[in-house]
Amino acid sequence: MRSMSKRKYALLCLCLTMIIALASAQSAPAVPNDIIIKNAVVMTATHGTIPNGSVWIHNGKIQAVGETVNAPPGPKVTFIDAGGKYLTPGIVDSHSHIALNDDVNEATSPVTPQMMMKDAFDYQDKAIYRALAGGVTTSLLLHGSANMIGGQAVVIKHKYGATRDEMLFPNAPRSIKFASGENPKRVYGSRDQLPSTRMGNFAVQRQALVEAQDYMREWDSYNEKIKRNDKDSKDATPPKRDLKLEALADVLRGKLMVQIHIYRADEMLTEIALAKEFGYKIRAFHHALEAYKVADQVAANNIAIATFSDWWGYKQEAWDAIPWNAVMAMRKGVRVAIKSDSEDFNRRLNQEAAKTIRYGGATEEEALKMITINPAWIVGVDDRVGSIDVGKDADLVIWNGYPLSSYGVPEKVFIDGEIYFDRQQTGLGTTHYKEGE
Amino acid sequence: MHPLAKVHVVADALTCPAERSSAQAPVAADAFVRPAKRSERSSLWRLTVPLLILTFCAPKAPAQASPIALKGAKLLTVTHGVIENGTVVMQGGKIIALGAAASVTIPANAHVIDATGMTVYPGLIDSETALGLTEIGAENMTNDLVEMSDEIMPHMHTAEAFHAESALIPVARFNGITNAIVAPSGGDTLPGQDSFIQLAGVNATEMLLLRDNAMPLNFTGDERRNRGGFEKQKFPATRMGLAAQLRQAFIDAQDYKAKLTDYERKKADAVRDKKPEPLAPKRDLKLEALIPYLEGKKTIVLAAESPSDLQTAVSLANEFKLKFVLNHIAHSQPVLDYVASLKVPVIVGPIYESPKEDERYDAVYSLPAQLYKRGVKVVFASYDAHNVRNLPYQAGFATAFGLPYDEALKAITLNAAEIWGVADQLGSLDVGKTANVVVANGDPLDVKTDVKQVFIQGQAVPMTDRQTQLRDEYSK
Repeated sequence: MRSMSKRKYALLCLCLTMIIALASAQSAPAVPNDIIIKNAVVMTATHGTIPNGSVWIHNGKIQAVGETVNAPPGPKVTFIDAGGKYLTPGIVDSHSHIALNDDVNEATSPVTPQMMMKDAFDYQDKAIYRALAGGVTTSLLLHGSANMIGGQAVVIKHKYGATRDEMLFPNAPRSIKFASGENPKRVYGSRDQLPSTRMGNFAVQRQALVEAQDYMREWDSYNEKIKRNDKDSKDATPPKRDLKLEALADVLRGKLMVQIHIYRADEMLTEIALAKEFGYKIRAFHHALEAYKVADQVAANNIAIATFSDWWGYKQEAWDAIPWNAVMAMRKGVRVAIKSDSEDFNRRLNQEAAKTIRYGGATEEEALKMITINPAWIVGVDDRVGSIDVGKDADLVIWNGYPLSSYGVPEKVFIDGEIYFDRQQTGLGTTHYKEGE
Repeated sequence: MHPLAKVHVVADALTCPAERSSAQAPVAADAFVRPAKRSERSSLWRLTVPLLILTFCAPKAPAQASPIALKGAKLLTVTHGVIENGTVVMQGGKIIALGAAASVTIPANAHVIDATGMTVYPGLIDSETALGLTEIGAENMTNDLVEMSDEIMPHMHTAEAFHAESALIPVARFNGITNAIVAPSGGDTLPGQDSFIQLAGVNATEMLLLRDNAMPLNFTGDERRNRGGFEKQKFPATRMGLAAQLRQAFIDAQDYKAKLTDYERKKADAVRDKKPEPLAPKRDLKLEALIPYLEGKKTIVLAAESPSDLQTAVSLANEFKLKFVLNHIAHSQPVLDYVASLKVPVIVGPIYESPKEDERYDAVYSLPAQLYKRGVKVVFASYDAHNVRNLPYQAGFATAFGLPYDEALKAITLNAAEIWGVADQLGSLDVGKTANVVVANGDPLDVKTDVKQVFIQGQAVPMTDRQTQLRDEYSK
């Protein structure tokens, strides 16, 4: 700063002021600071249903929820009468591949943890809008399952019509996609490459993790030297950075949540063993169609599942899938999410969740949790979204009918307290996106 | 073990419940009561239905022995409204009586099932499935979906590939689907002929109610298989090519038919004149298969997606005076009045098909309602094999976008029976019709509803399948 001329300093200040001004202009859009949604059947997902409830949204967050809320003084409050309709948290989809422009699999090597799905994120993809119209407000966009270790996920909010950066879920934890089973062995086996068997799959995964251990040790020892701040510190040269191994080292350090594409029960046990061998935690098994066979072990390791309600038989490893999987696993203590993995299902995840009522007798709240707070936990944002609780983001859906049925359809979808979809509007029903833009 | 070997072992271990010996029936009975919520179980249901299964699910599917009466249920008749406290009596595989409980006389020898609190409706009909043509999607040796060697394959008969023991059939039946069209997949312009099945029976012969009852004609131009670089293209690589090839096929069939007619006339003359019979024309299976369609005796299921393909396909069909129903037309929104002017039924959807880029999110969801408003008879199909069971939910979802409830139910019962020419036997709760009857704990179109018992030809089918068996095995 000393060397900086006064003029330069002034200019910098001006720039900073402008940036701050611009930023604050963006973060405080022309929406009311206070909204009260009243006369709604409030399905909170965490503390039951309030038959005639209200929710007060203040600056994009839930300020109060209850039978009545104390309206803040002042004329700026907007009241929305839900007319006795249902209000739920925004749906969280913990397994999606939309908005990636088909750049889902970097299937040129079975280990590609350095792939960042954020780099492929296409914020203009209409699939974001179509899911929004189905009540989805947050999605985890994952790498595909061609590789044993795919890439790093991106978490988005479905603010269709907003800018790319506005759609990224702020400060969401990082996730990485692992895979197993048929897909990697089919992709690489068809090229006469490793892996072409499940043995090969796990060998590839273990080898990558061994390399990551070595890499982590090199860096740990370097950082140790620097930290000591002695004679050796000056001579210490940093190891070469390798994005691939850096990402895997972050898995070992617990900085990346591991999301595993997996079908068979035996593979779940092997993945649990591998995680123990290398000292990392598995956040969730995705698909997990055979979780009901090993639900005790899955629960004991605090691993969630993100599963289909009733998809089965599309491949050999989906042959033992049963629609009771979600509820059977839940009853054994597994945290269960119903996810889409599809541009179709993510438009009606409420119906998919409702099937757990039919298959296994989930309660209304248990079914709702499977598409809200439970997937939010898988994504690592359950402290921010996934339920109607004070302090959470005001991501909410007003439904025109009972959402856990064939019939309920979103009327209005709020994200961070703003309406992004309104069914009553003509055209697409989007409030921030204009056709032709 | 080779992966396919495993398929066989598994399939062998868990065969179609319809084929189970009566010794295994108690398993089925146990599974039936298991999924029911405690509050929904009535003691009668627990006792009577297992007994029925024991009695009626002998392997040879004998005719229904004694009458069964379902008493006190809400009857969705489809043809004459809802009867709140109604009774249905089934005997000899038919519905012999139904009406308000007070007005129906139950035969003295009938098994009476207290169905109070239950909803009873006709077996559901899926107007396009691949049941019996596939087992595991990604395992090709288990698939007989479509013969891809040529576009014109009318001599392919799904009835000849239909695998009655498929593990998928009891899964579909579990949700009240009792009848379905089995169609070849849409890979060819003329992929072969449909069958109409009943989802119970000891073998294919019993399950195939109609063979070669209809034929898909696909004019979905975007799915052309011979596209690609110029060096790769084979005929037909364009819509013009597909249309020309199809037109040629029907012209050849017309010629073939003329030759046959000529031969029959000469043969009759020869018999009359006691002269040696003329030589029969060389048989051509492809052309032979097209004749009933040229004659308008059988139904062409005309599939197109976009308005332009739809209109080309219709003009081709009209050129040869084909009798047709429409299929898919998921993106026909700009020409709905034109569709209505054709005065043919539409198998619509699936409504889950993605809208086009510039379309509103509900453009396809609302299509059934839009067609219905214009007087078009609407029918739904799952276009699936593994999840045929979800057919009723599609109908339910369409009501959320404006299709009246009664029409949605008709679209998977009576309307379907009508377009497949079986409305005298199926599609409603009416005296004299086949006793394909479903008992559920609520609204058939809602995802939450649990189907409690399915009757096919008056027999309680085992409410078990490969999936209930796995559920029970891992619930121990």
